[in-house]
Amino acid sequence: MKVLTSALLAGALALTAVAAKAETLVIAGRDGGYGKALSLAVDAYKEKNPDLEIERLELTGGGLFEKVTIAMREKSAAYDVIMLDDPWAVEFMAKGWLADLDALGGGVDEDFVAPARAVSRYPVGTGPYYAVPFVGNVELFAYRKDLFEKFGLGAPESWTDVVKAAKVISEKEDGVSGVVYRGQKANPIVTGFLPILWAHGARIVDADGNASLDSEAALEAMNLWLELKSYAPKGVETYNATEVRDALMQGTTAMTIELWPAWAPSLDDPSASKVPGKIEIMAAPGQVQGPAPMLGSWLVAVPADSENKDRARDFIDFLTSPEMQKKLALEVGTPPTRASVYKDADVVAKYRWYPNQVAALMNAQPRPRITQWSKVETILGDYLQLALIGQMAPKDALAEANGKIARALSH
Amino acid sequence: MRGKVLRPALAYLVTALVLLPIVWMVGTSVKPPIEYVSPVVDLLPNAPTGEHYRQLIDDGILGKMLNSLIVSFGATFLALFAGFLAAYALVRLKLPKNADMAFLLFVLLIKLSPPIVLAIPLYQVLRTLGLLDTLAGLVLVYQVYALPFAIWMLLGFVRDVPVAYEEAALMDGASLFQRMVHVVVPLMTPGLIATAVFVLILCWNEFVYALLFIQTPSKFTLPTFIATLITEDETFWGRLSAIGFIASLPILALVGVVQKGLTRGFSGGLK
Amino acid sequence: MKSGRLVPLLFLAPALFLFGLLTIYPLVRVFLLSFFYTEYGFSGASFVGLENYAALLGDSFFRIATWNTIFFTVTATASEVGLGLLLALLVSKRFPGRFIVIPTLVAPFVLSTMVVTAIWRAWFHYDFGFLNNVLRAGGLPPVAWLFDPDIAIFSLVLVDVWQTVPLTFLILLAGLQSIQPEIYEAARMDGAGPRQILLRITIPLLIPHILLASLLRSIDSFKIFDKVYALTGGGPGQATETLSMYVYRLGFQFFDVGMASAAAVIMIVIAGALAALYAVRIMKGESHAG
Repeated sequence: MKVLTSALLAGALALTAVAAKAETLVIAGRDGGYGKALSLAVDAYKEKNPDLEIERLELTGGGLFEKVTIAMREKSAAYDVIMLDDPWAVEFMAKGWLADLDALGGGVDEDFVAPARAVSRYPVGTGPYYAVPFVGNVELFAYRKDLFEKFGLGAPESWTDVVKAAKVISEKEDGVSGVVYRGQKANPIVTGFLPILWAHGARIVDADGNASLDSEAALEAMNLWLELKSYAPKGVETYNATEVRDALMQGTTAMTIELWPAWAPSLDDPSASKVPGKIEIMAAPGQVQGPAPMLGSWLVAVPADSENKDRARDFIDFLTSPEMQKKLALEVGTPPTRASVYKDADVVAKYRWYPNQVAALMNAQPRPRITQWSKVETILGDYLQLALIGQMAPKDALAEANGKIARALSH
Repeated sequence: MRGKVLRPALAYLVTALVLLPIVWMVGTSVKPPIEYVSPVVDLLPNAPTGEHYRQLIDDGILGKMLNSLIVSFGATFLALFAGFLAAYALVRLKLPKNADMAFLLFVLLIKLSPPIVLAIPLYQVLRTLGLLDTLAGLVLVYQVYALPFAIWMLLGFVRDVPVAYEEAALMDGASLFQRMVHVVVPLMTPGLIATAVFVLILCWNEFVYALLFIQTPSKFTLPTFIATLITEDETFWGRLSAIGFIASLPILALVGVVQKGLTRGFSGGLK
Repeated sequence: MKSGRLVPLLFLAPALFLFGLLTIYPLVRVFLLSFFYTEYGFSGASFVGLENYAALLGDSFFRIATWNTIFFTVTATASEVGLGLLLALLVSKRFPGRFIVIPTLVAPFVLSTMVVTAIWRAWFHYDFGFLNNVLRAGGLPPVAWLFDPDIAIFSLVLVDVWQTVPLTFLILLAGLQSIQPEIYEAARMDGAGPRQILLRITIPLLIPHILLASLLRSIDSFKIFDKVYALTGGGPGQATETLSMYVYRLGFQFFDVGMASAAAVIMIVIAGALAALYAVRIMKGESHAG
């Protein structure tokens, strides 16, 4: 028995010692196009630092959030660089999970666009920097100019115009749906709905930090959003970025209420798009309030428990340098966060909509700066989908969501 | 007479249907991407390719496989060790009144507890032991599944060892330890192997705890790695099928053992 | 056999230690935490009495998850035991190739759930999934396997059936083979037809095996997590949200550990009641069958 026990112990020790290592940098980031961008940057960085080992974790938005939050709570020191969506940043910074980048030295350039810089500091807009903006995403609206002209429709100025156009085109144009959006639970469905909610003057959380979804304005917004479903393709409740992009580029939809620049770098590329040059991109329309493009910037940060902070900081600087941003914009279509890159002649020549995009980005509004945002988003996402698949009346869905959001905000 | 033809025919048909998804998987693992998004029924590729397998090697699949092997064998060894001793004591040794029944009910309670329910406190256990984000930590928490299962199966096999052999050894003056090593274990070898195979498969396939307790990418096991192939932008069906096939090969090879072990192990648990 | 008092306990010690550390301690902790509001452990937790339980009972999602779990457990268990029995009857007699057919039928059982869900996700795909391709080729309309709220849970059952029927099949096959051939012969001599033999002799004699298969399958289907996680994420809406998924979301997405613990306690109570039901039946059966 003694023999067995000691064998067991030796085995356990051997297991823990498996990861004997040279200098290693562990990066937890997003998948898809963001992952491709990170791969390019990592390869270039490895060339400069041949002795460094770099480990990568690529996950979906939701998957990354869970993994990273658990690691932060456990102070597991598993990651040295993490990618985070700007609405998560408040919680991460407020709870002391991220390293103060100012203290690590190097500063954060004024060249990064102001709204993305503001959300990288805590207290928001004034405190020290805990993150650097990596992807300059801003929520835009896209429509098929050729179809709008064909049916004598002008560019939509309000959400009511959007509904009208969606109805006309889905009825008259074969094989083309009026509109698409993301219907998947959690973050996707919520970001699709938010511009409509905001345009109606409604808010999820009011200025005093109270849940405020039980308003008339919110109900109107919800009804309009639900009306759009009649003109959307079948199965829209399962749509995510891929499906929206495919519908747009395969020419099977007239509008998408939500387009993130990082999704569609090749709108004009005839090998990827069946409708090159026909898609127009603009800030989402208003309703009772003017358009307010939504900020959706992905940031990069160093966890406070990382054991390799200086190296991580150096990689972040490399990743967000003007040269790398230009390279990533040109090769993968990652939207830059530096104003100077948007003015670069090569970049502008490749992406005709970049002037519109950077204008929207400069004026972008962030989602509520509360530590409970991820919970709020999950709750709202659940109820939006219940309403979307017709299992709950809009009013009830909003009321129940509001109640749960209030509980989440109270802690 | 009709039954003599109909029955085998039906059995072959059902077998083919059951096998279909696996055939599809193998086919898709060598299909070029353009073929698997086509709206046409085709199980096998028109232009086979090895690119998915190559990509998996680039993804570091071998490291993940090694992790899975270490964790599965480690957990199986631990479960068999603790499980065999417990099963032997329950069947052959004098326990306080009703203690054996109480112990079995207790095993049942553990089998009933959903793993996810235990996950939150287990976090704290692993952190206290400094075993979070380590393979050794997984070996430990896999006992939640592996140990009750091992005890359950081994009970039947211990009962099958004729008492007479042990009594004979006892007459010859063999100690308990000697009886175990020279009589019980050799007689139980087939049962131990069958149990080991089962626990191995259980641990090889485990997902929830590996998802929650491992953070560093180089320590991922195969099932958690598989889950990362379903991305927000696209699902890599080819690579997913290829890795599914690779991960299944070793255990598919054991299917015969499983079939025999299951039949005996579970009917043992009934008696 | 002779042995000291201490020896049996020594033999049980490793298992008891592991159970204590990995199950008893966690279960006690879950029970205690269910009376607190906490994002993690006891530090910074505030005692809230039965508030978590009240919040759960008032939450429509919890009721939906409970209903879905029970519905799934019953549907999946019944289908798996039923199909397992049919398969066992189908191959119980010798025929050419039987030695290949049986292991092949068992194959899906050894596959990783992640592999299984990956295959079925592709098969269920609305636009280019294998199932809908087959339907279209047969001139039938495609089915929204995963996004019709009324169908999604059955798709989940289908996957579970494919993966786990081998287990019920093997248990019941073992049961069939343990029935003495003399019993059948005696029945035939008395002029019983095949149907009567099945209903009057085979099935009654199989009851312990049927109960065992049902017990094992219902315990596992009650706990179902990874299939839901990888196949539907609990959607569309809440249509496939199960209790394990609900606990997971509360615990690891919301970090509402107190309420997650309360939900966990309710889950264990339901599971315990379920097991007790079978235990009583099995013990009864044993006293009859001897």
